[in-house]
Amino acid sequence: MMPRSTRFANVRFSVSGSYGVRPALVGASLSVLFLACGGAAVAPQELLDARTAYAEAAKGPAADLAPAQLDTAKVSLDGAEQSFKEEGAEQVTKDLAYIAQRRAELAAAEGGREKAERKRAAADKDFKTAQIEGLQKTKEQLNAEKAARVDAEKKAAAAMSSLAEIAKVKEESRGVVITLSGSVLFATNQSSLLAIAKDKLDQVASALQGQGFKAIVVQGYTDSRGNASDNERLSLKRAQSVRDHLVSRGLPSDKVTAEGLGASKPVADNGTADGRAENRRVEIVVTPDK
Amino acid sequence: MKIRTWVYSCILGTIWSACGGAPVPHEALSAAQADVKGAEVGGAAENPKAALHLKLAKDQIALAEKQISDGDNEEAKRTLERAQLDADLALALAKEVKAQAAASEASEQVGKLHKELNK
Repeated sequence: MMPRSTRFANVRFSVSGSYGVRPALVGASLSVLFLACGGAAVAPQELLDARTAYAEAAKGPAADLAPAQLDTAKVSLDGAEQSFKEEGAEQVTKDLAYIAQRRAELAAAEGGREKAERKRAAADKDFKTAQIEGLQKTKEQLNAEKAARVDAEKKAAAAMSSLAEIAKVKEESRGVVITLSGSVLFATNQSSLLAIAKDKLDQVASALQGQGFKAIVVQGYTDSRGNASDNERLSLKRAQSVRDHLVSRGLPSDKVTAEGLGASKPVADNGTADGRAENRRVEIVVTPDK
Repeated sequence: MKIRTWVYSCILGTIWSACGGAPVPHEALSAAQADVKGAEVGGAAENPKAALHLKLAKDQIALAEKQISDGDNEEAKRTLERAQLDADLALALAKEVKAQAAASEASEQVGKLHKELNK
């Protein structure tokens, strides 16, 4: 830089010296000098910053979202460029460039804010839609659950009523008591199930599977004839046969137990044949879940 | 002759004082100060980049006040214009940062909700 301006100073000096002699040459030299000086003027840092700031703003969201501000910044930058052309790197150019830079940054910030606000609005909308979807989903789930519950209750009721056709079903304080007649289940003095008994017990098992229960106790009873210990042994064996069959049909083995109670709790008169037939029985006591 | 010279001097003097001294830029000063207040209320001090421009605005207002007291009203006016733009930029940056934070928060909430719904 320095050597160049020194050279120009020398040129100007020599031109001044020959002023009176060749005016045309002087004019030409002066314009060369002017051009040389103008070319040598370097844009001030403020103008460089303003150009960069504007270029960056124009690349960003401001172009679409803050066009008016970006335009103002452009006008401002053009003004600074004009001033630089006319005045060079004077303070006025620097001031105009500073302002142009701030306007470009303002436009960029406005664009950024607008972009963020749109993003937020979209997210809010998305949130509301999702919320509504979620509510609908929950409602559908609840409806489905309710329908399933109603269905299960219906099935259980149907199972219980079909059970009532083959056995006596009574609700007592110890639970639901299903009473099956001994003559239906076993041959005299036998503890193995008759074929028809197995069918009935299958129905009992499927009815019980549809409901929740805490425990099932299968109790075997006899009439009062014969030896008491024989009766107890037979009643236990029969209860176990029933219990094993129910477990083989899918009832949980840990929840189903068997008891042999002999002639201990007659439900009818042991003095008549009908009464004794009623006393020979198996009771399935279901302790409900709740 | 002497009187005429005196009258000319008077007229010239009046013109000189009227033209030479630009008026004090009261309006520009209060506009810049108002924008600084606005930027402060808008939370410019809470964000580093905005805070920087807020400080630039304040420093330039102080400089302009000095220039006014020195009689450099023309220069003061230009300084105040710069100050005002810095204050405006501080506010715009503060708003931008707040809007971006709100947008991120909203996106996060949506993400969480979607995740929950898809469980």
